[in-house]
Amino acid sequence: MGLFDMLSVSASALSAERQRAEVTSANLANAETTHTDTGGPYVRKEVVFSTSNVSPFSTVLGRLGHFGQATPGSVQVAGVVDDTTPPVMHYEPGNPDADKNGMVAYPAINPVSEMVDLMGSVRSYQMNASAVTAAKQMIQESIDILKSS
Amino acid sequence: MTSTTPLMHLLQGYLKVMSDRQQLVASNIANVDTPGYHTRDVNFQSAMRQVMDEGNDVQLVPASTQVEGLPERPDGNNVNIDRESMLLAETQLQYQMGVQLIKEEFHRLLTAIKEGN
Repeated sequence: MGLFDMLSVSASALSAERQRAEVTSANLANAETTHTDTGGPYVRKEVVFSTSNVSPFSTVLGRLGHFGQATPGSVQVAGVVDDTTPPVMHYEPGNPDADKNGMVAYPAINPVSEMVDLMGSVRSYQMNASAVTAAKQMIQESIDILKSS
Repeated sequence: MTSTTPLMHLLQGYLKVMSDRQQLVASNIANVDTPGYHTRDVNFQSAMRQVMDEGNDVQLVPASTQVEGLPERPDGNNVNIDRESMLLAETQLQYQMGVQLIKEEFHRLLTAIKEGN
């Protein structure tokens, strides 16, 4: 543990929140997409956050010599999952994606809730950026001990 | 851990506790959107005692405990962002104080050396 670990914890959150904002933007952009490569409408995606194990001693011991592993207490994206909500059907007989009854499947995406989600991730990102600033300042102060007064 | 003066020894432990606490605060902020995460913090008194007893190499994480009495959101997360941002600022200032006191102690030492001749 130390101030540099604090930086990596906040950095993990920054990257997780950025990924969440990315997925939310993709949902917003594809709110009206009725045609995809796999056929059918676009499926809403959602990120799943998980915290890396905070179990103290074993992780510290396990981390010796393994620099790629996450710092305990950091957050990571466990996966991006599909929303299972069924698509919304609209009657549009002229649409090329319409079925034989003239119904078109639109993704079940509510732009308002996506916007709220986007704002939430932006705020969390800002909060973590403040934590990075605090850590940087503390490191700088420790360096300043070395400066002759 | 060997330090020049007893005060230096104490301040070294203080800075260790403060930086560890700041890391837990950063971890709480990082996990503000993680379902099921619970706020963690160190107990200053026991962390300080542990650092003073066992030296600087001790891992402080065992002293970190879950904070009681915070309301839990429906997703099982109980991080209160206001509490964490307050603690972030508070711990930063406490760390700054520790650093200033260490600089002061070094300065005192230097004065003792210089006035000696």
